[in-house]
Amino acid sequence: MLGEVADLLFGALSPMIPLVLAGVGEIITEQSGVVNIGIEGVMLLSALTSGVVAYFTGSVFLGLLIGTATGLALGLLHGVLGVYLKGDQIVVGVGVNLFAYGIAVVTLVTLWGTYGSSPQLPTVPKVEIAGYPVSPLLPVSIVISIAAWYFLFYTNYGLKLRACGEDPRSAEAMGVNVNRTRLIATLIGASLAGLAGGHLSLDWVGQFTKEITAGRGFIALANVVFSKWNPLYALVGGFIFGFFDSLAIYLSITSMNPSMAYLFKTVPYVATLLVVAAFMRKARMPPSLGKPYIKE
Amino acid sequence: MVISMPPMAVEFEGIHKIYPDGNIALRGASFSIEVGEIYGILGENGAGKTTLMRILYGEIKPTSGTIKIFDHVAKFSGPWDAIKTGIGMVYQHFSLIGGFTVAENLILSALPLGISAQNVLERAKESMEETGLKVPLEERINSLPVGVRQRVEIVKALVRNAKILILDEPTSVLTPIEVEDLFEVLKKLRESGLTILFITHKLKEVKAITDKVTVLRKGQVMGTRRTKEVSELELARMMVEREVLFSLERSPTRPGNPLLEVKDLWVRSDSGLPAVKGVNLSIRAGEILGIAGVQGNGQKEFVEAISGIRKPEKGTIKLKGEDITDLDNSKVYRRGLAYIPDMRSMGLVMDIDLVSNLLLTRLEEFSPDGVIRWRKAVEETKSVMKLFNVVAESVRTQVRRLSGGNQQKFMLGREIARKPDVIIASEPTHGLDVGATEYVRNKLVELRDSGKAVLLISTDLDEIMQLSDRIAVMYEGELIAQGPTREFNLEKIGLLMGGVKVEP
Repeated sequence: MLGEVADLLFGALSPMIPLVLAGVGEIITEQSGVVNIGIEGVMLLSALTSGVVAYFTGSVFLGLLIGTATGLALGLLHGVLGVYLKGDQIVVGVGVNLFAYGIAVVTLVTLWGTYGSSPQLPTVPKVEIAGYPVSPLLPVSIVISIAAWYFLFYTNYGLKLRACGEDPRSAEAMGVNVNRTRLIATLIGASLAGLAGGHLSLDWVGQFTKEITAGRGFIALANVVFSKWNPLYALVGGFIFGFFDSLAIYLSITSMNPSMAYLFKTVPYVATLLVVAAFMRKARMPPSLGKPYIKE
Repeated sequence: MVISMPPMAVEFEGIHKIYPDGNIALRGASFSIEVGEIYGILGENGAGKTTLMRILYGEIKPTSGTIKIFDHVAKFSGPWDAIKTGIGMVYQHFSLIGGFTVAENLILSALPLGISAQNVLERAKESMEETGLKVPLEERINSLPVGVRQRVEIVKALVRNAKILILDEPTSVLTPIEVEDLFEVLKKLRESGLTILFITHKLKEVKAITDKVTVLRKGQVMGTRRTKEVSELELARMMVEREVLFSLERSPTRPGNPLLEVKDLWVRSDSGLPAVKGVNLSIRAGEILGIAGVQGNGQKEFVEAISGIRKPEKGTIKLKGEDITDLDNSKVYRRGLAYIPDMRSMGLVMDIDLVSNLLLTRLEEFSPDGVIRWRKAVEETKSVMKLFNVVAESVRTQVRRLSGGNQQKFMLGREIARKPDVIIASEPTHGLDVGATEYVRNKLVELRDSGKAVLLISTDLDEIMQLSDRIAVMYEGELIAQGPTREFNLEKIGLLMGGVKVEP
């Protein structure tokens, strides 16, 4: 029994990584007043590009780098459309999600001739802790959260960034370049989502499948709400949501009835729904979130 | 003999400003402000006060003319140049970030000047000690009363090393006690050598706090006086005097029964401050009552309370003898009241067509059972357009594509065609050309002649004098005078609008 609990808890450490990385990224983006619901698509496309690069070069590091760069590029798209051209950020995000899925399927077919998943890919070497394999991306994501927290709440630039999400008009009156700050926040957020995508194919799963993200981008968005836009709490949220992921995997493996396995797969999503429903009311989101800043 | 000239803080030389839409805001304003003065700039809405200050603050560029700051010609490409030169601005609407603490706001505002966080807080504490301005550094802006937020704005300017402080209508958001506190602070700031520009339309305040005052009217300087040497009457005359554009035919009035009666009405503004304070009035059939006053003295809250858009705090409103105080607007409209708001964007939905706009306030007529009778509605729209000379391609044209005059005529026509008994018209000719203005004014007189009661709210004194049978003046939420038109003249209204109570 104790062993099973330990299995479950350690099992949460892998699913936690993308939720923390993408969640912290989205927190930075949203604190500046931009909402990017396209991080699901960013993760999917980055998982694909890092997979492809690692497959052809054999370099996991280069794969992760390209995954992050893919996020950066999609962030640039989101930033230009949503910040500078004042497009509807939700529509842009949905567009990226649909676009990513389409590209993923087409690439799978073109490169590997399958509709489902890629061949095995090289993966990040694991470190053994207490008999459990742990990815080095776990400490990386923890360091990133702490750094993001310090950046947002203890530096001048973080103050400026949050001012854009609070009240862009006043922020500009106080000398903040609102659009540029928002673009940079969007770039950082999408890059971290890109790294999260790279983790999915090159660290956790070890291959690319068209459903590899399975809504984790959206769970990361839920994590943003849970954490009340604080990167430190996003670590806790990442662990909780990751635990449900691990629970779902455990339940479907140990279940006697194979059809029940499908039902257990809904556990993380139902849990997300409940957690968000419980925390949404208490959360205070940045007042100008999702509103394009249009000068008089 | 050498006469030493006092050092000048600001010199305006022939400032003209013509906006791209052709609106002339300033026509050669020239005057100078000495270092260490509290300098009043007085004028009505649209006199050009705010435009002039925005030019000084570098927000907009003058069409021609120069500004000298401390004897140097200023060429500002934006407010930051002005701030670096030592100019601080406190707007009516503060630029503070509500969710941040006072300290965070101060730090943020000083960042572009390269002042470190530690330094900002030290300076803030110093200037608070010097001037007696007290602000709680760790509180969030949202939890502070408006008066304290204004102090934060002033501290913000001091932290940024402001030598010249512009205050745009600083008392309009304050309670009387907060106004007194502000004046104390301003006097201390003057002692410490700051130059203060005080923009206002309130005569009393000019007398109470300024050393010198310049009166602006329609973009021109009407004169500069030492405050001690000028009377409120003279200032009022300088502020409002003008020639009348055109006159209207009006038959003598034969008022009937009271149609709208308001007793001891109290209403709060959006920010929760009392905006209307115990207003009493009654309008009879066949009568136009004009309410004069500078914008923002409670007129909006007053008419919104009458038309059921805003809940009054206290008092009663009776329409044709029936108590409508607690009814919501659709019920009030159904009982025979029409409200023509001062913003066409509020009375009309710009992106939909004329017919749909007509339907919006008259749904029960054209869809008694929830199904719209489009043909009837189109006919009615056409007849309104014809009766009120509304020029538009068709009834299906987007309202946005009509000229302002046509929008106004349509909005007026739509409401009048409902055959209301009481019409509230708020700034009905604001922004209209002479032809449309005359048309709208004639219509209002026609309504009065046909036995309706009209409540006219206007900041345009000509309009008030021309149309009204009786006049009331609203100042800080109170009707400080009320009586037949013959008891008023422009000068007197000017004084009253500035808050000076005069006996008839």
